[in-house]
Amino acid sequence: MASIMRPGLLRQACHATAAPQRFMSIRASPLAQQLRPTFAPSTIPQSTRIAAFHATRRHQILPALPQKVEGTANDPTPVPDPSPVHGSYHWSFERIVSAGLVPLTVAPFAAGSLNPTTDAILCALLVVHSHIGFESCIIDYFPKHRVPLLRNIAMWALRIGTLTLGVALYSFETNDVGITEAVTRLWHA
Amino acid sequence: MATTRAFARLAARPTAVRPAVFTRSFASVTDTAARDPISKAGEAINPDPTRKVVPESKTSTTKEPAPDKDAKIKSFHIYRWNPDEPASKPKMQTYTLDLNKTGPMMLDALIRIKNEVDPTLTFRRSCREGICGSCAMNIDGVNTLACLCRIPTDTAKESRIYPLPHMYVVKDLVPDMTNFYKQYRSVKPYLQRTTPAPDGREYRQSKAERKKLDGLYECILCACCSTSCPSYWWNQEEYLGPAVLLQSYRWIADSRDEKTAERQDALNNSMSLYRCHTILNCSRTCPKGLNPALAIAEIKKSMAFT
Repeated sequence: MASIMRPGLLRQACHATAAPQRFMSIRASPLAQQLRPTFAPSTIPQSTRIAAFHATRRHQILPALPQKVEGTANDPTPVPDPSPVHGSYHWSFERIVSAGLVPLTVAPFAAGSLNPTTDAILCALLVVHSHIGFESCIIDYFPKHRVPLLRNIAMWALRIGTLTLGVALYSFETNDVGITEAVTRLWHA
Repeated sequence: MATTRAFARLAARPTAVRPAVFTRSFASVTDTAARDPISKAGEAINPDPTRKVVPESKTSTTKEPAPDKDAKIKSFHIYRWNPDEPASKPKMQTYTLDLNKTGPMMLDALIRIKNEVDPTLTFRRSCREGICGSCAMNIDGVNTLACLCRIPTDTAKESRIYPLPHMYVVKDLVPDMTNFYKQYRSVKPYLQRTTPAPDGREYRQSKAERKKLDGLYECILCACCSTSCPSYWWNQEEYLGPAVLLQSYRWIADSRDEKTAERQDALNNSMSLYRCHTILNCSRTCPKGLNPALAIAEIKKSMAFT
């Protein structure tokens, strides 16, 4: 919206990241427009002087594709095959992990005692919880049919990250003081 | 041949028995009155030569309406896009109305703009009382029905009207609802039964069973909730959206329906149902005061651990 009020702002903002098809308009930069004497006829194409409607970002990350209706307008959208592992089981598991994290986070500090078992469970659940959360983000923001390659890259990056986190937490637990003790020390530091 | 025609003419001649009005003669090129329908027989215009035009000096004068002193002028910024000019960008057009002469609702303002200011303004409307769901649009940042949305009387604030967000726009304020309706169709929104009723008459429900459908059957499918849901914005093709899931739950919760398991199976995947992250925009925006988020939560609950 801001660019409706301040088209100049938008022009400067989009200047750096103009798309290739706007190459001609890049050359006639706003700076040149300002330096040029006012009586000189404008060489900038008319189209570049239109303030864009979408103001927040001239170049959207995933611009909407042209509308495509599969089948006729009277056909239902295809119903995917049931896969409880990605559906209801996944959701139930996620809820159990999330609910379990609450007592595990509070208990060691409330009890004031350190137990390697609860520490290990807390670490494991943290890893799983963060993995599920990031996976959900990737599914939301990298649609499989739009950016299949990016989706796969993101998923593998997440898996590698989760594995690294798991190994790191394991070594921190076995070779160092453990996360509960670490948080306690940081708190009192 | 000539004699038959002469006899026919004789038969068609007006007689004392049949009034002239009901008599139709043969079709002819010259007699145009014969072609007129019977109903026009009484409307024959007989110009009166004695009637003359009244001169302007003897009539009253209608002056240009004087602007009101206490006019409440409010501006409405309305999204405009014309498919006949596909190269042109969407733009916001401003209209000013005197609220004293406009009805209380946003739809009244839109209709008044269309009637009196700009006939090219395009929007859907039908019932003007919030039961058809046609006039769903984004008014001052909230998806709502224009007919149920009061115009804020604060004239210092300007109103902004957009079509439903993240929908393909047909023209101006008219979104394309094809995908939405196709998704609605995919949940099979009708009673599915194989067994007949026990008494062979109606499928009966107890009062408690009927009560479960309250808050579900009132949905008018205006798509305000679905188009306010960020998950639906990002994954419109696969995620069904709150409105359709509410309708799905309406049939899952129905005690007469026998395909509950199949209905749940149809939602039991990563995308159809579980893209709902309980953002709750749907419940906040629903112009009918329903709670789609609760319906989605009930579906999730009914499918948990199964």
